[in-house]
Amino acid sequence: MSYVYTVARLRGMENHILDTGFFSRLMDSAGIEDAVKALGETSYSQWITGNSGFDKAIDAEMLATCQELESFVPDKGLLDIFRLPYDFHNVKVLLKGLFKVRGGEPEGRRYDLLSKLGTINTDELTNAIETEEYSYLPYGLTDLIPQCWQLWEATKNAQAVELLIDHQMFKAMLKVAEDLKMPDIVQWVKFRIDAENLKSAIRLARMKYDSAKSLQFFHEGGTIRPDDMAKLLNEPQETWSRLLSHTDIGAVLSALQDSGDIKASLSEVSKAIDDYLIRVLEKAKYSMDDPANVMLYLLTKEAETRNMRVALVCVGSGLDREFGRRLLSNGR
Amino acid sequence: MEYLGLSLALFGAALAAALAGIGSAIGIGIAGGAAAGVMTEDPNKFGSCLILQALPGTQGIYGLLIAFFVLNKLGLLGGAGAVALNWNQGLQILASCLPIAVVGWYSAIWQGRTSAASIQMIGKKPEAMGKAIILPAMVETYAVLALLTSILMLMGVQVG
Repeated sequence: MSYVYTVARLRGMENHILDTGFFSRLMDSAGIEDAVKALGETSYSQWITGNSGFDKAIDAEMLATCQELESFVPDKGLLDIFRLPYDFHNVKVLLKGLFKVRGGEPEGRRYDLLSKLGTINTDELTNAIETEEYSYLPYGLTDLIPQCWQLWEATKNAQAVELLIDHQMFKAMLKVAEDLKMPDIVQWVKFRIDAENLKSAIRLARMKYDSAKSLQFFHEGGTIRPDDMAKLLNEPQETWSRLLSHTDIGAVLSALQDSGDIKASLSEVSKAIDDYLIRVLEKAKYSMDDPANVMLYLLTKEAETRNMRVALVCVGSGLDREFGRRLLSNGR
Repeated sequence: MEYLGLSLALFGAALAAALAGIGSAIGIGIAGGAAAGVMTEDPNKFGSCLILQALPGTQGIYGLLIAFFVLNKLGLLGGAGAVALNWNQGLQILASCLPIAVVGWYSAIWQGRTSAASIQMIGKKPEAMGKAIILPAMVETYAVLALLTSILMLMGVQVG
């Protein structure tokens, strides 16, 4: 199928994406029953049973979207780039569970944290990791998992293992993007790596890490070298937007600084960066057959599910609604 | 050499009908892909999509019109027999067919792309149908100009 068809179908599907106005109204619901009623007219209603299990319903909606796109998007690799982080998340969950089991916690496995959004069936992945039969696993996992075990045996440091998995995840994303031969998608993956590195830099700065120790936390492959990211930690955070002004992601910091919010909470910085990753793809909207529209749609849908989670948590647990509204992504 | 003039003229007629027709087929195909995508989500948009999909089809009709014009000029319609043409007159008729052949072929493809974009537009904003028709119709202007040029040139060629 051609991208003219694909993009046209996505345009039709975009009409069903819920906007921030809807979520703002959802947060005004008196209680969870009212919120469920408000969701009755949306595509989420088919997954919701009773007044609980929203997380599963949100995941089911995202999974259904991915499966629908898979039926008509010409290049499956585009979906793989989006879904691949969920595979690596599942690998982390399974390995951490096994680390706990081997450390003497027989109930350490957390199968409930596995996401079905990955490209590898969760049962097959679980079986592969538990039986140590990794040979058929994609994305370099065949070599990565034994390395994780070696690192765990040597250091017992779960964070170091997570970092190793993340490094491989971005390498795999870049490889899939390069195989697609779509420059805009390759560029987006590089921006995604920059975004992740920037989040790490902000986190590390707040933990008062110095640049020498922090280099290991940054991923290769972005438009900004890990060295340059690490050097930021030697500078006051207020100057970062100027130091990164030659880069695309520097604009996110400038915007936060302009709003006097440079010391904003990490969740708000994350929101600004996630919005940025959608914004950089928005020029695809003006093309009738740009494959980047597929990624743009997926990210917009993902932002919608994030907003859904924020809104339902706010309503369900009575959190400050104003704070919740500030966390809503501007996906649509 | 006796039939060279006639052959050149017929070649021109064939080019006008074929190239403009090929362009229209490609243009309608592109717009059709977009229409199918939009209608998968909302089958009620069939009417609007059909109008926009049909727009790149006009170039094929213009090409056919010029081909008829040439055949009529050559006396090949109506059974009266072909008029005698020298190679120079044949070449003039061939040249007259080129504007609609080339512009028709190319403009139909681009009109198809613009129609596809307009179909995507009404997929998202159905109320913008009026504007959506105008955009591909702008491309039509140049196909009409090429048709007029071909007609005027053909009328200026003296045969018989």
